[in-house]
Amino acid sequence: MSVFLIAASVLLVAILIPGVVCVRAQAIDGVVALELCSTLATLALLCLAEGFHRGIYFNVALISAATAWAGGLIFARFFGRYL
Amino acid sequence: MTARDLIVDVLLALGVGAELICCLGVLLMRNAFDRLHYSSAATTVGPVLIGAAVLVRESVSAGGLQTIATITLVFLLNPVVEIATARAALRIRDRAE
Repeated sequence: MSVFLIAASVLLVAILIPGVVCVRAQAIDGVVALELCSTLATLALLCLAEGFHRGIYFNVALISAATAWAGGLIFARFFGRYL
Repeated sequence: MTARDLIVDVLLALGVGAELICCLGVLLMRNAFDRLHYSSAATTVGPVLIGAAVLVRESVSAGGLQTIATITLVFLLNPVVEIATARAALRIRDRAE
């Protein structure tokens, strides 16, 4: 098993930690935790792409980085306005 | 194991370790502003180390260039989200007081 696959597994399991904050804390704290989750997911996808030695998989991490930014911004604006 | 493999292992371990510390920080802190501190750190230290590990393995290839693009996006764009979230948290706190 490649070291990158191990790193990706650890990062995917680590998503559970801010996931607890998403479930149990206040809404704005959940947004912060969600942003951390998106960063972890992007890095896990990057490690998986390298671990599987498939060049095309790097696109997934790139798209994840771009869409996570847009999603986080929308959540922040929404919660700032309506909570 | 070559020196290159060793460098990759060390960079990956440091990167993943930094991300885990940030996860614990987000879990243990009490309010959104303290949590934002750790969430922001997770978009700078860890991604750069993990990206460096991928680049050491890939060097200049399509995957390496996409890694640079991904890490650059995370590094440059996420502070914008953090600032927007901090402003939202500030607005919520002001409304509550």
